[in-house]
Amino acid sequence: MSAELIEFSNALAQATERAAASAVAVHTEARGSTSGVIWRPGVIVTAEHALRRDEEIHVTLPDGRIAPATLAGRDPSTDLAVLRCAEVGVAPVEHGDAAETKVGSIALVVGRTRASGAVAALGVVSLVVPERRTWAGSVLVPYIRLDIGLQPTAVGGAVVDSLGRIVGVASPRFARFGAIAIPSAAVERVAETLLKKGRIPRGYLGVALQPVRLPDHLRQSLQHNEKTAAIILEVEADGPAHKAGIVIGDILISLAGQPVSRPENVQSHLQAENIGKALSAKIVRGGAVRDVTISVGDRPNGGG
Amino acid sequence: MAIAGFGEIAEHLRRLTVLIRPGRRGSGSGVIWSGDGTIVTNAHVAHDSNAHVQLWDGREFVGTVTARDPRRDLVSLRINASDLPAATPADSAQLRPGELAIAIGNPMGFLGALTTGVIHAIGPVRGLGSQIWVQASVRLAPGNSGGPLADAGGRVIGINTMVAGRLALAIPSNVVRHFLAV
Repeated sequence: MSAELIEFSNALAQATERAAASAVAVHTEARGSTSGVIWRPGVIVTAEHALRRDEEIHVTLPDGRIAPATLAGRDPSTDLAVLRCAEVGVAPVEHGDAAETKVGSIALVVGRTRASGAVAALGVVSLVVPERRTWAGSVLVPYIRLDIGLQPTAVGGAVVDSLGRIVGVASPRFARFGAIAIPSAAVERVAETLLKKGRIPRGYLGVALQPVRLPDHLRQSLQHNEKTAAIILEVEADGPAHKAGIVIGDILISLAGQPVSRPENVQSHLQAENIGKALSAKIVRGGAVRDVTISVGDRPNGGG
Repeated sequence: MAIAGFGEIAEHLRRLTVLIRPGRRGSGSGVIWSGDGTIVTNAHVAHDSNAHVQLWDGREFVGTVTARDPRRDLVSLRINASDLPAATPADSAQLRPGELAIAIGNPMGFLGALTTGVIHAIGPVRGLGSQIWVQASVRLAPGNSGGPLADAGGRVIGINTMVAGRLALAIPSNVVRHFLAV
């Protein structure tokens, strides 16, 4: 038989074994589990959407012990949840920079189940985009898609590159086919924030928006190129927009000097760094443009 | 890619994989376990006391069931032949997740079809009791049942038995050895 193939197979098994030293099983119910990655001493990251409960979380460690873990926080926008577990020591496996990942390279997903121990899935990196905004509002830099059909038990497992380094956390979220690797830099950033604050701060304006078509005569009189904008359907009492004097029916055509042609355009101005900043906005009310200044608020939990 | 060898392994495995037709309808796969005519397949493939066995070289035999374990879904058959190309079983206790896995069988009327993947896990499967399965990310279809799952060296690591989601479940080769030794 081919010696190369046997060598390749052994290399895969060894890479799996090494990465498995960082892989845990996460369980919140009597049966079943998902996977998580020991990210730093005392810290485990896992897939947010797959973590069913906030309390009574246990993990099966690489040595088979079962230990309790507490939730530090969730970030649905990147599909990451961070757990604290006193029983885990140093993260044994080297982390790689996901930005170096190349399309067509081999990727392993390594997780752990309660009953069977380490689990592995093999595939290739099928798409790398320098950055992509997800429907949940986060920007993944880079966006890495894998042609790996994840077993439910492997969700939240470690994505391992061809050099055996952990480059991210595996999730079927934000991928229509296969799975994505939530890149290591994003995991680092989210873990840091969740451990400190318990949540990811997001800016908010306190409005509900809907796309609206701008009539031609209005575009001509306003000398505005965009054919669409965002109309304000709701204004939260005492929210940032309310304080800026915005009322229902106003049409938002630009924010911070950039045109707003769809409600999604507003999202890119709401990153945590902008909280507290005053943004200039152009709105149309009664056929005339007005300039207003909105101070970006710190979104209360779950608010829009 | 410079890695050669899947074709070679497939050819090796095809010679020790048989087509089993238990009756008028349906077919499955089987593995030549010894050169003197012992064939192993699933109990759900050879559900009668004998079954029609066709070798890769086209020769046909009537196999007689010599042992049956419905709980573990295994059957052994004997055919009246000798000097057959037989499986080299691996020690399934030594399997590791991430290793390459290669399945050969006769799915949906195709003869000797190859699918490849990796070992996903070795252990029990939720909902299937405490039995140990070799769980591999290889794509199986009806007709693969009873056929071999092999490692990168072409050694048989299990008997493909069922599909659970995206995974192939194979009876570990050590369980087959134990079944034949009883």
